[in-house]
Amino acid sequence: MKRWAMRCGVLLWAMLAGACAAVQPWQRGDLARAEMAFEPDPVLSSYRRHVEFSKEAASGGASLGGGGCGCN
Amino acid sequence: MATPKSLMAKPSLSALTAAALALPGLAQAELQTDYLYSHYEEGDLPGGRAASGQSSERYTIDSHLFRVVAPFDDQALTVNATYETMSGASPWWVQPDANGRPVQVMSGASIEEERFDVQGAWTLPLADLDWSVALGYSTEDDYEAINGGIEGAYALQNGQLTVSGGLGYSYDQLDPEVGASSTDVIADADKDSFTAYGGASWVIDAQTLWQSTLSYTLHDGYLSDPYKRAFIVDDAGTVRDARPGSRELWALSARFRHYVAAANAALHVDYRYFHDDWEIEAHTLELSWNQVFAETWRVTPAVRWYSQSQAYFYAPYYASARSDGLASSDYRLSPYGALSARVDLRKALGEWELGVGAEWYDASADYAIESVDVVNPGLVEYLSLNLRLARRF
Repeated sequence: MKRWAMRCGVLLWAMLAGACAAVQPWQRGDLARAEMAFEPDPVLSSYRRHVEFSKEAASGGASLGGGGCGCN
Repeated sequence: MATPKSLMAKPSLSALTAAALALPGLAQAELQTDYLYSHYEEGDLPGGRAASGQSSERYTIDSHLFRVVAPFDDQALTVNATYETMSGASPWWVQPDANGRPVQVMSGASIEEERFDVQGAWTLPLADLDWSVALGYSTEDDYEAINGGIEGAYALQNGQLTVSGGLGYSYDQLDPEVGASSTDVIADADKDSFTAYGGASWVIDAQTLWQSTLSYTLHDGYLSDPYKRAFIVDDAGTVRDARPGSRELWALSARFRHYVAAANAALHVDYRYFHDDWEIEAHTLELSWNQVFAETWRVTPAVRWYSQSQAYFYAPYYASARSDGLASSDYRLSPYGALSARVDLRKALGEWELGVGAEWYDASADYAIESVDVVNPGLVEYLSLNLRLARRF
């Protein structure tokens, strides 16, 4: 399973790297908009992550966790 | 008239880098404060799913979250604090009714708890990388945890590709309290958790961003729930919830952002595949539409779908005790799916920003990717309402 996940990840990255066109810094206005951020609202995201973490078996992503339990 | 800052488009490299790295608090130009109040309420357990035959109230949580981001030079200090109070009844164990159908036994409605959590992060550029060092502490009546971590990000190809990664550690201590619904609990226990992730984000074109991340977590120690029990038919009684002493989790996630200029909106698509060595496999897919009106309003409707398979040792109840001594009837380890829908509204007023939001979440066997033979009766439904207040200085 671990090997499968790694292979998928590497393949995906390779495909994407090949697909990207050069975008100059002055063409990145739309990308810099607040609503285009990966996490436009860190407070709400961290709250929702904590609720989901305490209700579901799955967790993980581009963050390090922590913050105790709060389970019931 | 002051400009509403946070909703305005600000095409700059530093803003783009912050977005692309998704590292909190990176290189912001002004002091930012943010407050969220949330009221979370679980739906009643229906009488038909309860051993008592009576419907039962479940959990209510009131949360206050504060966030301050203080920039200085090219560095920033971020502090997140959470205070929440929890009350209500919780699933205790599952037993068969006269027809062998699993029904839920709830704890007494006497749980009253509060949790305080503080997380600090310092972000700084060093040796061509952007670093973030974090420390945190969380405390409840019966639970205490400290955590720390370090994250780094490196931009390549003129910022077109950003590679990032992080390492984290958490030490958690439990000291379960004896009560009317917890007469037979362990004295105390602890666990260690290590997390590592690595990923990359790409500028695909002038309107599209993509991020992929692979994360790994190892939990080692006491991973059971000290307050839950499991029913053994042969013994006509319950035993303590008992789970393996270690757990390895893998998550592969992808996040897609596309700006639709004609609509002045951004489409977000997030997907995560999860697998662990308790044989749980899960999929999470979330879609949101971030619509900006008149540069000062933002409305974000979103839907989320989740599906998981069960842990190998889970059962709603057991005919006889397992030979390995493991037992858990926790709905979190059961096979199910969940759907949620939410909408958030933000309005910028000069230096201030106001907001409201609501989310409805429903867990059910019907939403699971594979058919579920026996549904856990403790699956949860909740409604969460939030209020927001933010100010930039």
